[in-house]
Amino acid sequence: MEMNWKAAVDSIPILNRAALLTLELTAGAIAIGVVIALFMALARLSKKRILRAVAIIYIDFFRGTPLLVQIFLVYFLVPRVLHWDTLPENYQYIAGVLAMGLNSGAYIAEIFRAGIQSIDRGQSEAARSLGMNHSQSMRYVILPQAFKRVIPPLGNEFIALLKDSSLLSIIAIEELFYSGKIIAGRTFQPIPMYITVALYYLVMTQLIAQWVAYMERRLGKNDLR
Amino acid sequence: MIYVKNLHKSYGKLEVLKGIDCHILEKEVVVVIGPSGSGKSTFLRCLNKLEELTSGEIIVDGIVLNSEANVNAVRREVGMVFQRFNLFPHMTALQNVVLAPEIVRKTKKAEAEKIGLDLLAKVGLSDKAGEYPDRLSGGQQQRVAIARALAMKPKIMLFDETTSALDPEMVGEVLAVMKDLAREGMTMVVVTHEMGFAREVGDRVIFMDEGVIMEEGEPNEVFEHPKNPRTQAFLSKIL
Repeated sequence: MEMNWKAAVDSIPILNRAALLTLELTAGAIAIGVVIALFMALARLSKKRILRAVAIIYIDFFRGTPLLVQIFLVYFLVPRVLHWDTLPENYQYIAGVLAMGLNSGAYIAEIFRAGIQSIDRGQSEAARSLGMNHSQSMRYVILPQAFKRVIPPLGNEFIALLKDSSLLSIIAIEELFYSGKIIAGRTFQPIPMYITVALYYLVMTQLIAQWVAYMERRLGKNDLR
Repeated sequence: MIYVKNLHKSYGKLEVLKGIDCHILEKEVVVVIGPSGSGKSTFLRCLNKLEELTSGEIIVDGIVLNSEANVNAVRREVGMVFQRFNLFPHMTALQNVVLAPEIVRKTKKAEAEKIGLDLLAKVGLSDKAGEYPDRLSGGQQQRVAIARALAMKPKIMLFDETTSALDPEMVGEVLAVMKDLAREGMTMVVVTHEMGFAREVGDRVIFMDEGVIMEEGEPNEVFEHPKNPRTQAFLSKIL
């Protein structure tokens, strides 16, 4: 069978929409993940044993089991826990973003923890000696400095997350990979389609990488260390 | 002003402070000297509870250091200056100085900045208010750190080897600021290797070794006629 690029070119409007959905899903997952991660990282570093235990269990579970399994688990578990008899329209998006957010929360928590721990102890000592309590010292002194340092690993995590969003095709979310697969099957042109899909991912991950590099330059301006 | 009763501090099996008793009066300048590893920095850090006490009791300005709330209350009244400055690198000199008054004392921003600029002027750094710490020399950073501690209007200032990390030509500018403070009647506890400063400014010198106070007294007395053989050996090595 001959390779024909016409199908791929014709599908560009569909792929554009699918790529946008991929970006939206990833952005949603990042938003959820960052919030969860901040709490988990602080819990992980807490003096209270129970908080540390919760954080460790959470992180171990979401890092130690496949995202694919987590997506299915969330998809089937949420309606069960909330006693939904019928699924709301577009439920798969909620489940998908939630699963990815929970998963990335675990990874980002570890990134945040490493960032917080990399800040010299003298910084919190100086803050505490000025009468700031633990949360004030975190908020005004430690976290702003830690945030700067975690931008590069955070960028890696965002890129991984964008690529992993292709797994959401498994619960019939028409993101980029899913759309490509459907069109490839319909047109019998898998190679041009998957090359095109790969290029879409490449462009998007490059955009994230550029944005991270820009943030790093901008925030690093006043910090030569 | 500060009462220390039978203070012990251990790191695991290593006993660093082996029973310190000490009473520091208002407006007194107490200089703590001694060889490295003698426990003098640990002693100082116990006074605002940067170190957990193993046993013993510390009362600062009438407040017993035994609860989180009390510790924070004491820390508001006790300023500390560190060997390695510990300025906040993501903030300008002025922001370093006004941060604690604004968020701990809830001072209005404009008022805090006025106090901050006055304090930077006092330490001779009016022109550096907008600079970030990494653009300042060691001596300048340490003077900002002193201004930062003073911004909380503390009743007591603790100095932990504040000139030990400085290039020799910058030691003088920092000591000058400390001397001014002493002259203004600040209660100060100073851990230092600057014997000239101890002599000139100190009301009392405490010599520590092996986790205990070996000798204390008027600077001239301790420096000229040390009674304890340990003090004699230490002073003969450094003077």
